[in-house]
Amino acid sequence: MISKKNKKAKYKAKINWKKELSLLPGYVIVLAWIFFTAVFLIWILGASLSTSREIFSGEVFKFATGFHPENYVNAWESQNVAKFFGNSLLYSVVSCVAVVIISAPAAYALSRYSFLGNKVIKSGLIIAMSIPSIMIIMPIFALATEWQIKGRILLILLYIFLNVPFTTTYLLNFFATLSKTYEEAAAIDGCSPGKTFWVIMLPLVQPAIITVTIFNFLSVWNEFFIALIFANTSDMTPVGVGLLQIVNSMKYTGNYGALFAAVVIVFLPTFLLYIFLSEKIIAGVTGGGIKG
Amino acid sequence: MKKNRALILCFVLPCVFSLLIMFLYPTIRTFVMSFFKIEGITDDVSTWSFYGVENYAKIFGSSTYRKSMLNMGSIWLFGGVLTLSVSLLFAVILTSGIRFKKFFRAAIYLPNVISAVAMATMWIQYIYNQDYGMLNTILKKLGLEGVRWLGADMKFWAMLVAFVFGAVGYYMLIFISGIERIPQDLYEAATIDGANKIQQFSQITLPLLRGIIKTNITFWSVHTITFFLWSKMFSPVDTEATTIVPVVYLYDTAFGGKATITRDAGAGAAVGVTLAVIVLAVYFIVNKVVKDDDLEF
Repeated sequence: MISKKNKKAKYKAKINWKKELSLLPGYVIVLAWIFFTAVFLIWILGASLSTSREIFSGEVFKFATGFHPENYVNAWESQNVAKFFGNSLLYSVVSCVAVVIISAPAAYALSRYSFLGNKVIKSGLIIAMSIPSIMIIMPIFALATEWQIKGRILLILLYIFLNVPFTTTYLLNFFATLSKTYEEAAAIDGCSPGKTFWVIMLPLVQPAIITVTIFNFLSVWNEFFIALIFANTSDMTPVGVGLLQIVNSMKYTGNYGALFAAVVIVFLPTFLLYIFLSEKIIAGVTGGGIKG
Repeated sequence: MKKNRALILCFVLPCVFSLLIMFLYPTIRTFVMSFFKIEGITDDVSTWSFYGVENYAKIFGSSTYRKSMLNMGSIWLFGGVLTLSVSLLFAVILTSGIRFKKFFRAAIYLPNVISAVAMATMWIQYIYNQDYGMLNTILKKLGLEGVRWLGADMKFWAMLVAFVFGAVGYYMLIFISGIERIPQDLYEAATIDGANKIQQFSQITLPLLRGIIKTNITFWSVHTITFFLWSKMFSPVDTEATTIVPVVYLYDTAFGGKATITRDAGAGAAVGVTLAVIVLAVYFIVNKVVKDDDLEF
C-alpha cells in the first residue's frame, strides 16, 4: 500500500519531498550500515589483490605494484584451498541430493497416510531440530569410531542426517497443500502409489525442494562445529575449518594477500548464490522462521 | 492397503532411522554419560563408573566454566539488547515506505549467507587490525591514538560487535514479516486521530509484535547458548578467559584443547546436558512470561 502511494507521490513534488524528508533519518541509518558493509567487502577484495607490504602500509587501493592475482593461485595451490573447496563442494552437493531422496518420500508418506506413529515421527522431527548439536556430538563420535566410519564419507553421512529433520518438516507442509485428486486420477489410470509419488507428486513440490536445497547448501557449506571435530585429516577438511588453519599458520607464512584471497574464495560461492537468489532465500527465512 | 503399508514403510524408514541414530540415541547417551566417570569419548561402556552428580559438581566448581557461563550471559544480555533493538529499528525503517526496500533488506541480510569463518577472519584481520585496520585508520585520521581492539580488555566486546553485525539481518527479517502482518488501516486510523510516528510505534507496532518478539527472544537465546564459532575464531589456538563460552569449554574438556591436561568426557556431557536444560527452560519461560493474547487482526 505504502509503496503504491509513494509511486503516485513521485509526480506531486510537494508531497513527495515532505514525505521523503520525514524518511530521511531512516535512509541515513540504513545507508550508513550498508556503506560500512560495502567498504568492508571492497577492501577485502582490494587486499586480496595486493602484496602483504601494501596491506600493512595501508595502501590497498593504490595498487602501486599492480594487481596481484597470483595471490589467488598461491592460496588455491600452496595453501590447500583447492582441496578444502573440493571437499566442501563434495559434502554440500552429495548431502543436498541425498537428503532430498530421504526426506521427500518421508514427508509425502507423513502428510498423506495416517498410520501408527505418524504423529510421533512428526513431533520427533521438530524436537530433533531444537536439540543443540553439543548434545549429540560425543556419542556420534564414539559410534563413528566403533563402526570404523571415517574419511569424507563420515562427514557426508553426518550432514545428511543432520539436515533430515528440517528438510522433511519443510516439505511436509508443501505436500499437505496438494490436492488428493492427482493421486486419484493416477490410481484410476493404473499408476502404482510408488510411481505416482516419483513421477507426479515429486515434480509438483519442485519449488519447495529448490528452496530447501538452497538452505541445506548454505548450511553445509558454512558448517564449522561438526567439521572441526570430525575432519581430523587435511584430506577431509572443508573450507571453514581450512580457513581457520590458514589463519593460524599466517604467523609463519606472513602472506596476507593470499589469506584475503582465500577468504574471497571461501565466501564467493554463497555470495554469488545470494546475488541471484536473495528474494527466494529471504522469502524462505521468513516463511520458515515464523513457525517457531 | 497392504501394498500401501510396504510403501509407507519404505518411504518413512530412512527418515526414522536418521532420527534414531542421529538424535534420539545420542541425546539419551549424553544424558547417561553425564552421570558416569568417563575419560575418553570413545571409551568402552564397561570402563564407565557411576559418578552420581560429581560431574556437575566438577564443572560448577570450575572457575573456567563459571567464567564461560558469565560470558554467555553477557552475550545474551548485551548482545541481545543490541541485536534486537537494531534489527527492530531496521525493520521499522524498511517498512516505513522507504525506496529500494528490497535492496536494503537483501544487503543487511547478506552477512548471514557468508561463511561465518570468513566473516570473522575479515573482522579480525581487517576491521580490528592494529596496524592497518579500518577502526584504527579512522582513529588516526582524527588524530587519535589507535586502540588494541584484540587486547584482553577489548576482545570480548570486539567479538560481540562483530557477531551482532552478522546477526542483525536475520532478526530484522522476522520483525519485518511481523510488521507486514499488521493491517494498514490501524495506522491510517491512528494518523487521522493525530498520532505521530513514535506514538504509532509504541501504541500499535510494539504491542502487536509481542508474539514476534517472543519468537526472536527464543531464537536469540538458543543462538547464544550454542555460541561457538566466534569464540573459537577470536582465540583460535589457546582458549582465553575473555572469550570462552560453555561450548568451547565442552570442546576443550571432551575433545582436548591445549589448556586441558586430562580429557573428561563425563564432564563434557554434563556441560551438554546443562545447556540443553537451559534451552528447554528458555522455551518454557518465554512461553509462560510473554503471553500471546491471541490478538485477531
